[in-house]
Amino acid sequence: MTTFTAEAYQNEYLPAGGGEVNAVVTVTGSAAVPAPTSTQAAEIIIVDVSGSMGSPRAKLTAATRATAVAIDCIRDGVMFGVIAGNDTARAVYPQEGRLVAASPQTREDAKQAVAELKTTGGTAIGRWLALADELFAATPEAIRHAILLTDGRDEHETPAELEAVLTDCEGSFQCDCRGVGTDWEVQELRRIATTLLGTVDIVAEPAGLEADFQAMIERAMGKATGDVSLRLWTPQGATVAFLKQVAPTIEDLTSRANPVDALTADYPTGAWGDESRDYHLCVHVQPRAVGEEMLAGRVGLMVAGVAVSQALIRALWTDDEQLSTRINREVAHYTGQAELADAIQEGLEARKQGDEHTATFKLGRAVQLAAAAGNSDTMKLLAGVVDVQDQHTGTVRLKPRVQDADEMALDTRSTKTVRVKKPGS
Amino acid sequence: MDMSSSETVLACGTCHAALLPGDRYCELCGTRIGTAPDEETRAGGGCTACGAPVEAIDGDRYCSRCGVRQRSPQDRQEIDLVVAAGVSDRGRLRRRNEDALHLQTVGESGVAVIVCDGISSSLSADLAARRAADAAGAVLAEALHGEQAVFAEATRNAVGAAQQAVLEVPWTSRSDRDFPSCTLVSAVCRDGELAIGWVGDSRAYWIAGDDSRKLTVDHSWAQEQVAAGLLSVQEAGADKRAHSITRWLGQDAPDDEPQIVTLRPTEPGRLVLCSDGLWNYTPDAAGIAAQLDALPPGTAAITAAHSLADAALAAGGHDNITVAVLNVTPPGRDDQ
Repeated sequence: MTTFTAEAYQNEYLPAGGGEVNAVVTVTGSAAVPAPTSTQAAEIIIVDVSGSMGSPRAKLTAATRATAVAIDCIRDGVMFGVIAGNDTARAVYPQEGRLVAASPQTREDAKQAVAELKTTGGTAIGRWLALADELFAATPEAIRHAILLTDGRDEHETPAELEAVLTDCEGSFQCDCRGVGTDWEVQELRRIATTLLGTVDIVAEPAGLEADFQAMIERAMGKATGDVSLRLWTPQGATVAFLKQVAPTIEDLTSRANPVDALTADYPTGAWGDESRDYHLCVHVQPRAVGEEMLAGRVGLMVAGVAVSQALIRALWTDDEQLSTRINREVAHYTGQAELADAIQEGLEARKQGDEHTATFKLGRAVQLAAAAGNSDTMKLLAGVVDVQDQHTGTVRLKPRVQDADEMALDTRSTKTVRVKKPGS
Repeated sequence: MDMSSSETVLACGTCHAALLPGDRYCELCGTRIGTAPDEETRAGGGCTACGAPVEAIDGDRYCSRCGVRQRSPQDRQEIDLVVAAGVSDRGRLRRRNEDALHLQTVGESGVAVIVCDGISSSLSADLAARRAADAAGAVLAEALHGEQAVFAEATRNAVGAAQQAVLEVPWTSRSDRDFPSCTLVSAVCRDGELAIGWVGDSRAYWIAGDDSRKLTVDHSWAQEQVAAGLLSVQEAGADKRAHSITRWLGQDAPDDEPQIVTLRPTEPGRLVLCSDGLWNYTPDAAGIAAQLDALPPGTAAITAAHSLADAALAAGGHDNITVAVLNVTPPGRDDQ
């Protein structure tokens, strides 16, 4: 089991007439036992076996090898299975339409089955996910996690078909998505990963798959507590402008609210292990008189329907401008990080549309923000698409020739944030 | 005679004594009646902002419907006993009022005044201050009932009782908080004879024109630096340790012996007791004297206390503010 703490960072002072309250809430989960062997878990690996995976041949080889490494990381007793997907979905292991408990024997059998995979046909990701959802249904108590690997676009079903499946799967299991090569759609995989509370990333070189699969499985196996929700209470007359996860990645949760009562809503956050995540909350409240104080929000954690920890967001009206104009550093930091992610995505989109002026402006702003926040990983990725002339003023020139992989890596990783440096550390 | 329902319910919220319509202060305990309109509404129990029922008010006094924080009676305490009066205010920034004020008259001319300042880094600081002030007040009142009271000794006993009261404040351990603790400054007065006792940095001033002076010497880091000749008053006051106190009441207190001064003024004047939330803005006796001299002659003690507290609020009110004013008239100088 995981223990949770929630802590709020904010400037609680508002000027007379002000009503916008911003706060960053840090939620930290600490697993009491590092390897939660007692926690029931279920894992499904979904491998794309469409025709394109066979050219070059190295793609399928890398995918099967990575799947084998992932299978080896599944600890004993975890219910698992492997699905092969093209324009249909097929349970590769076990073949009987159920999951099996991991053991030295079943892991060996699974790797054997994966080694014999052949490529043919198209891509219909919705059908793969639907089969996974069906298999997971037998383990409702477990923390359910899937890995989805694909190299192409979802071409052999309609977007509406995929949407319908996503709606069914939402809340049923979490799914990390990986695109191999550069023929897949960042927007498409991001949509799937975001809905299923997972991550999305590019594995440009098939050789990089093994380490990535291993890391994903280890992270999934480290989750000790499933189905954790943020419960947000806001006062009567207030509106939630947004609630975003801002670290380790930016995910806008605003539209995921499940109302509990008129003033309270739950936002699903998936499974938790030993980790810490930051959330940026922005609430608009009805202004009160100077000197008055209001509780603008209460952020709690719901684990299996039980409230475990909460942080209070306050609003205090003052006529002291020194107090009300101060911007809390956590809030400022993540506001900048969110702008950074937007600037990258908008800049890349403009570049694709041939709007060089907007692309240069947006990506220049991104360079400036990444430099200011000390986000060196994003800086490196930006350097793949622009030549940086002055990072402080955001002066850049678009590169005439850009590797697709560099552009897709920047796009998929644009939502990765760096955390606020704590003073003295 | 008709008895309207509004008359039958009039009683003091503090001591429950019967009140007459139009009373602004309770005759018995001096509590101000109907301080703010929303406090009267609060007597009904519901939220003063949205009218939610009393069950909607949570432990931190937030309304669980509209979020508005309910004022606490401790946010602003006013006591007027004519000869002496005081104000204790939460200030503009602190979440709670952790200062406490105790004022009491005994017999014809006996007065006991205590100001305590709960130490904000300690647990239950508000409760420590409240109990210390009331415990010390009870001992001083008892002494004033006697004919031959030795005020210095009564003050020593009062501070001992206050220390005992702070020790009995319930607390649960928290690594980031100290034991319940507070400062104390007390005054006991009868027939123009005064004894002042203190522990910590709450202060007493004698205000009488050119003879105005500070009576207490802070038990604080800043004062020790100045006394040792290491820093000037300005330098010490600017240091971030300036407000670190070196003596207090509580479980980990170095000792509970108060420092005591006695005086027998020959001219009429005012005794002012206050917490650092007040003197931070006017540290010198001359500054306080100037504020009081600006008031019309014969100004009531409660008006003088209001004036001093309001000046500290206007200057920022960064801490809890408590001030008590006691009019002292030497025997035979009674001009009334």
